[in-house]
Amino acid sequence: MASVTSVQKTTERDLARVTSIDVKTARRRRNLLNQFAITLLAVILLSIYLMPLAYGGITSLKTSAQASDSRAPILPMSTTALPYEGRQLDIYTVPIDGEMLELALLRAGRQSSTFINPADLDAEPIEWEGNWRQLEPVRELDVQWSNYSRAWNAIRFARLLGNTMMYALVTMFGTLIASSLTAYGFARFRFPGKNILFMVLISTIILPPAVTLVPTYAFFVNVLGWGGSWLPLIVPQMFGNAYNVFLLRQYFLTIPRELEEAAYIDGAGPFRTFISIILPQAMPALTAVALFHFFFAWNDFFGPLIYLAGSRDLNPITVGLTEFNGLYSSEPNLILAAAIISMILPLAIFFMAQRVFIQGIVITGVDK
Amino acid sequence: MELNANLIVGKRRPNGRKGMSASQRREAKWGLIFISPWLIGFFIFHLVPMIASLGFSMFSFTLSAPDEARFVGLDNWRRMLFEDPNTWITLGVTFKFAFISLPIGMITAFMLAVLLNSENLLGRNLFRTLFYAPTMVPLIAAILIWSQVLNPQTGWVNRGLDAIGIQALGAGGLRWLDNPNLIYLAYTFIGIWGIGNAILINLSALQGVPTELYEASKIDGAGWSRRLLNITLPMVSPVIFYNLVLSVVGLLQYFIVPWVLNGGSGYPEGTTRFFMVHFYKQAFTFQNMGYGASLAWLIFIIGLMITLALFISARYWVYYAGERN
Amino acid sequence: MRTKLLTLMLASMVVLLSLSIAGAQERVRVRWFVGLGAGTDGPVITQQEAFVAEFNASQDEILLVLEVIDNAQAYDVLNTQIAAGNAPDIVGPMGIRGRASFEGVWLDLNPLIEATEYDLSDFDPALIDFYFVEGEGQLGLPFAVFPYFIMYNKDIFDEAGAPYPPANYGEPYVDWNGVEREWNTETLRDLALYLTVDIDGNDATMDGFDTDNIVQFGYGTGYTDMRGELTLFGAGNFVDEDNNAQIPDVWLEGAQWIHDAMWVDYFYPNGIYRDSDIMGGGSGNWFDSGNLGMHAIHLWYMGWGTSSLDSRGIPWDLAPIPSHNGEVTAKLHADTFGIMARTRYPEEAFTVLTYMLGENADTLTRIYGGLPARISLQDGFFDRFAEGIGMSDADINWDVALQSLSFPDNPNHEEGMPSFLESSDRYAETWNLVLQNGNLDVARELEVLRAELQSIFNAASR
Repeated sequence: MASVTSVQKTTERDLARVTSIDVKTARRRRNLLNQFAITLLAVILLSIYLMPLAYGGITSLKTSAQASDSRAPILPMSTTALPYEGRQLDIYTVPIDGEMLELALLRAGRQSSTFINPADLDAEPIEWEGNWRQLEPVRELDVQWSNYSRAWNAIRFARLLGNTMMYALVTMFGTLIASSLTAYGFARFRFPGKNILFMVLISTIILPPAVTLVPTYAFFVNVLGWGGSWLPLIVPQMFGNAYNVFLLRQYFLTIPRELEEAAYIDGAGPFRTFISIILPQAMPALTAVALFHFFFAWNDFFGPLIYLAGSRDLNPITVGLTEFNGLYSSEPNLILAAAIISMILPLAIFFMAQRVFIQGIVITGVDK
Repeated sequence: MELNANLIVGKRRPNGRKGMSASQRREAKWGLIFISPWLIGFFIFHLVPMIASLGFSMFSFTLSAPDEARFVGLDNWRRMLFEDPNTWITLGVTFKFAFISLPIGMITAFMLAVLLNSENLLGRNLFRTLFYAPTMVPLIAAILIWSQVLNPQTGWVNRGLDAIGIQALGAGGLRWLDNPNLIYLAYTFIGIWGIGNAILINLSALQGVPTELYEASKIDGAGWSRRLLNITLPMVSPVIFYNLVLSVVGLLQYFIVPWVLNGGSGYPEGTTRFFMVHFYKQAFTFQNMGYGASLAWLIFIIGLMITLALFISARYWVYYAGERN
Repeated sequence: MRTKLLTLMLASMVVLLSLSIAGAQERVRVRWFVGLGAGTDGPVITQQEAFVAEFNASQDEILLVLEVIDNAQAYDVLNTQIAAGNAPDIVGPMGIRGRASFEGVWLDLNPLIEATEYDLSDFDPALIDFYFVEGEGQLGLPFAVFPYFIMYNKDIFDEAGAPYPPANYGEPYVDWNGVEREWNTETLRDLALYLTVDIDGNDATMDGFDTDNIVQFGYGTGYTDMRGELTLFGAGNFVDEDNNAQIPDVWLEGAQWIHDAMWVDYFYPNGIYRDSDIMGGGSGNWFDSGNLGMHAIHLWYMGWGTSSLDSRGIPWDLAPIPSHNGEVTAKLHADTFGIMARTRYPEEAFTVLTYMLGENADTLTRIYGGLPARISLQDGFFDRFAEGIGMSDADINWDVALQSLSFPDNPNHEEGMPSFLESSDRYAETWNLVLQNGNLDVARELEVLRAELQSIFNAASR
């Protein structure tokens, strides 16, 4: 009996183990499937989403001749050429006597063209009847990495990036401090006229900035004498900006009050509570706003253009890029190459900043 | 200590504004201290230009002849409201596009953020960075890229469609920026390309949703879509509200894309005659800043009314965990 | 940490502030604004900076400051500066359009010319008149002229087996059948049709020509607006002597010619092709793509416009502008610098202006690629010019550029109109329709344009 029971027990245990393994593998398999499906979805969406950027990237690696080749494939390819008496002769696949020969086009014509055989330059040129445009050119991959060095050298990239970096970093910290203080004031305290003041804050976003451009410019340049410097762009940010205040207020309002109340009861003042309780809980939001502002500043164009007029050495990268885009001579390939160089740094920063995001989850997760 | 606690718990005495208690006064004082950076900045940098621009709307003010500006009272406003048909035409165009573009943009940004927040997504950091990348493309390059990608003859969009058998090239093909039926679709595409910030904001809010909430609801047997509806959406509603307000304001001020891709001409068939294009032409191209200012203030008034309405509606659908009851 | 950061920020602000204060000096600051025309490309900016540095080193009274603003934004920025009371002193180089876009802001130079007894005998009097505006005065002095001509791609002609266009005005064109023809718009059309080719190699005169897959165009006019394009058919303006709107007859003909060229004959890049990759991908530089046979263009195109062709070793040359109804009109661009009426230092600004227009015009015109307006500097100009752009060995027919100067457009295609900014904007809209819409009734659309210009003109005279 005992043995029977024990056998039974063993079977049950085995069975349980087997099912548990089954369940586990099934779950793992399902997870894997989920991961695969979600990631595949993301890849598909991303490839549609980034298609224009891919166009930009590939065009930045072409010469203008490659870009304007009407029959060119998508990748930067060139027709293989034969150097011949100081000229570059394109090589085509030519059907001659039922054979496909790779010949260099010496003289193109509408009805007939003259080819020479690259393997046998001394031989008589070959006269071919037909339209050369219907021949298949022999192509090879010919990527113009040099566009990037040309773009880098054509404008003073290091200096432009440095200026942009300075502007983005200084105003990022400034606006983050001022905006988070202001947002906390709006999110947590009651004071007379608060709603009206908040609408005034939002109003500064709603009024098109172009209409206040002239008086603002007059104030900075004529009254303060700040023309030709970064001050009109940096100093106002030290007083916060409405976009960031609004966004941070929205986040602060989602933070439950229990911890703050506890801190107050422990005798902490409003500033200490703000710094030690609110800011840590709002890390993802602060990071988002910091990035948000950093990228805004990185791409800021019209402000620097108008206030830095006459101080080319102070220009940020956005203004520097216009040097590729003169009234008549614009070089799309170089503009795109330069634009891509200017994106690399902020994208790297974005990639790194993800860590803070992750940390953010942990903190809020624990706190709640 | 009791005082401090009151500050935040906010026990309010039931008598009106006159008799503010000491703690209420304290709270008001601290509130003003906290908002003082912005308030001071507003008085220094924003107030005067805003008032000045309102003043412009009552002047005949040619940009290149500031000395000849003269007061004309409400002439500009009268012309705008009663004589200039473009005021209402351009407002109509602006609202029409906004109704198409706003929901698509908001939903796409939110769904992409949910996707990028998914635990099942491998290589999330890379995906997030790549989805953000278009937002970083400098304006001058973005313009170039879009005009080429949408080019009717050599653009990748049409070449791609052509490759799968859709007649897209040539005179009878898809001319995205020349066809009044396609133009808003093209503009919406371009708009979606720049929603990196909205994704970013949604994403940071999604990450603030406490995981226990999801776990509890999983135990209750709620499916993905119910969790999205009952937990995620309410929890991130404050930033959805933010995105909504900013999208509305952004669409009222929609300008750069029609200005550079369609030259601000209204072509094709007036579909790109947006309100801000009208403003910009009057104020800068024609140098008529007086009239331009009245246009800008009209769009301001409209924007303010919509924003106020949104703020009032927010009481019913935006959930703030830290709000006082 | 936070205090450190604050200190850092404050420190950087103080540094910036003191930097901007240190800029103020005892010399008189004269601001030179570049952006309404040439001069905004990277390499050219550097050359202009060197020019400014040289001027500043040459004397110690004036500090010349260069402000370069990208052309797309230059009008807005200059407007803002003027409106805010912070106008620059000198503006240029600019053409007539730049000058006409800012009404009443330019200083009449005549008093300064008389006071300094500035010698004008080295200029063509007709060119001086170019900048004289009734009621406003002498708003500029001739600096550089940019003649107009046809550029053609020799490889495309060779491939077609078509003889090159004539080398001089008055010479006929001998076509590929050996027929001698007057070099006029009719001949241009037939030649251009022959040079236009689809992807299978059929040309536009052939039956199977595929209009949806054109890979090479015969002719196109680049970088200009409606009035500029129509001036090929004769000079004119949308306003007559009585300030009424008009469409000159030759322009009606011309608009129909160009619309047919785009949408019936297909030898001229239409709205579908004009910004496509095969036509330079939105850069506007059709000729440099190597897919355009003939291009009407100004001298300022030289030096940068053909960089891709030159690097591929594709030869090109210049030819005369064809006649229309027996008459040649080679539109003229003439650049100048203006002094703003609100300048606080008119004498100093005039000193800078005379420095730019004197001996040094030789340097400056070469920076911008123009023929000096100063007659004494024109001698041997094209030899120096060709060397400057690395084309001395190419045996270019520069002489035709000089000949073109004898056929200027009068009135000029950039000439003013009532409510100039608004009327310019209005005709640009019509032209856009001509370029983009193959089904357009051109005559009707031009009549709509005339009527609307009339109401703009009426409003202006009220």
